[in-house]
Amino acid sequence: MSKYKFLFIAIFALSISGQLLAQDEVSPERKQAIDSLALEKVKDLGKYISIIGNKDTPFSEANRVINRAMELFAEGAQMGVSSLNREEVKYYGAREYFERLMALNYDRVTIKWFNIQYISDLERQPDGRYVGVITIYQRFQGESDDGLKYMDTTKKDITIYVERKQTQIGGRVIGFWDVLLGDIRVTETTS
Amino acid sequence: MTFVVASFLSITDMHLTKLLIYALIVTALPFTVNGQKGVGTYLGDESAFYASTKQVNQFFRRFNSEEDEEGNRIYNDSKKYHSPRLRRKYIEILFDNETSSLDKALKEIFIKDVTDATAPIFLEFHGGEWFAEVHTRFNFYGKESAAILFMKLQEEPVGSKWVIDKVYFEPFNELFKKKSDKDGKFLHPLSHELDFMNLNKIFEKKEDVELYTSREHKPDHLSLFLLELKKGNLSFVTIKNVKFHFFQIDNWYFELSEFNRKGYNTGWLISNLAKLDGEQKESYKKFIFFEND
Repeated sequence: MSKYKFLFIAIFALSISGQLLAQDEVSPERKQAIDSLALEKVKDLGKYISIIGNKDTPFSEANRVINRAMELFAEGAQMGVSSLNREEVKYYGAREYFERLMALNYDRVTIKWFNIQYISDLERQPDGRYVGVITIYQRFQGESDDGLKYMDTTKKDITIYVERKQTQIGGRVIGFWDVLLGDIRVTETTS
Repeated sequence: MTFVVASFLSITDMHLTKLLIYALIVTALPFTVNGQKGVGTYLGDESAFYASTKQVNQFFRRFNSEEDEEGNRIYNDSKKYHSPRLRRKYIEILFDNETSSLDKALKEIFIKDVTDATAPIFLEFHGGEWFAEVHTRFNFYGKESAAILFMKLQEEPVGSKWVIDKVYFEPFNELFKKKSDKDGKFLHPLSHELDFMNLNKIFEKKEDVELYTSREHKPDHLSLFLLELKKGNLSFVTIKNVKFHFFQIDNWYFELSEFNRKGYNTGWLISNLAKLDGEQKESYKKFIFFEND
C-alpha cells in the first residue's frame, strides 16, 4: 500500500471519528462511512490474495505481502473453510492460509473477485466494539503445465470489527474509529 | 436484466415450468448488477449471487422490506421501508421452493398474516424467540460424536452476544435410561428408618443409578458437556451445519436453513413452516431440544 493511500485512509477514518463519538447508535450516514472504510480493507485483502497466489510473484515479495495482509486482521483471526465435497469446517490461521495459498502446486493461478458485495448491519458487542460481516465472492483458477485445471467459486463471509482507537497528531491525542478484519468463513459455491 | 435473460437462454436442461417461476421471481425483484456492487470485476452472470439471500441479516432485511431490490439499506424515511407490497414479493422468495415440501396454502396464510396492512408483523434481531441449532462434531474419549448446540442471542448491558443455551449429546442420552418403577429398582418407603443404609446397593450398580432419582430429574447435557470438556475427555472437532428456529411471530413457527445450490432460490430460506396454537409452541420447542419424554 502506498503512503498516500495510508494517509487517505487515516484521514477518512478521522473524518468519521467525530460523528461516531457523539453517540452509541450508528446513523445511516456513519454506517455508510464505516462501510466504505471496511470495503477499502476488503479490497486490499483481495489484492493481496491475488498477489500471494500469483506464481509470478517472487518468494520474498509474496512474504512481504503476507505481512501487509496480516496487518489488516485482528489478532487470532482464522479462516474456516468448507467445500462442496466436505461439509465440515477446516480451520486455518490467517497466516497459515496465506502461506498455503503461496505454496499451491499450480504453474498458473488466477484469483478474481466478483463485482458483488453484501454488507450486514453493524451490531454492538459487549466490549463496546461494533461487528459486521461483508460477503464477497471469489473465483480461483489453477492450471498446471500438463493441462490440469482446477476452478472454484467461493463465498467469503468476512468479519469486520469497528474499533475506537487513539493517535497523536501534533501533540494532541485524537480518537478515531478503525476497521480490522476478523474470522473469514469460506464456502465453496455451486456457481 | 440483460445478464439474467442471457443466463436463462443458456440453460437448456432446466424444466420449463421451473424456468418460468424463476423468471417471474427475477422479474418481480430485478437484482441488477448496479446494486451490492463494489469489490471486484464483472466475471460473467452474477444474477444468482444477487438473488441469493446471502446472510441471515439479509433474510431479516428482506422479510421486513428494509433493503431495496439492489440490496441497499432503506431507512424509515423511504416509502419502500416496511412496504406491504414489497414485503409480499420478498417473503415469497424467502421460502425454499425446491426441496422442502411446504404447504402452499399455509405459506399464503403466513404471508397474508405478516403483511397485513393494519397489523403487520416484522422480525426483530433483538426480539428474542429465535435461536440457532448448530451441528458439530466432538471427540469424546477418542471417538468422534455428533453434538447439537442450541445457541441464543443474549442481551448485555452493552451490546449482545451469542451464548450456548442447551446441548444435545447422543452419548449422554445413551448413558441415562428412561425411568420406570416396573423393574423393581427403588428405595423402599421405610429406608429412612434404617438411616438409608441401603444406599450402598444403588451406588454399586452405576449403570442403574438414575433410576433412583426423582421423577422431575432430567440430565442436564450442557453441564455434563462442560464437565467433560474441563476434564479433558471432550474436545471440539468441527462444525457441520447451522439452522435457525423462529418462534418470534405469534402462532407461527418457521425454520431457516442455508441452501447452497445452483439457481436463484438459494441462501438462507424458510425450510419448514407450521401454525402453532396455544401450548403447541412449547411442545414444539421441546421436540427441537430432544426434551420430549
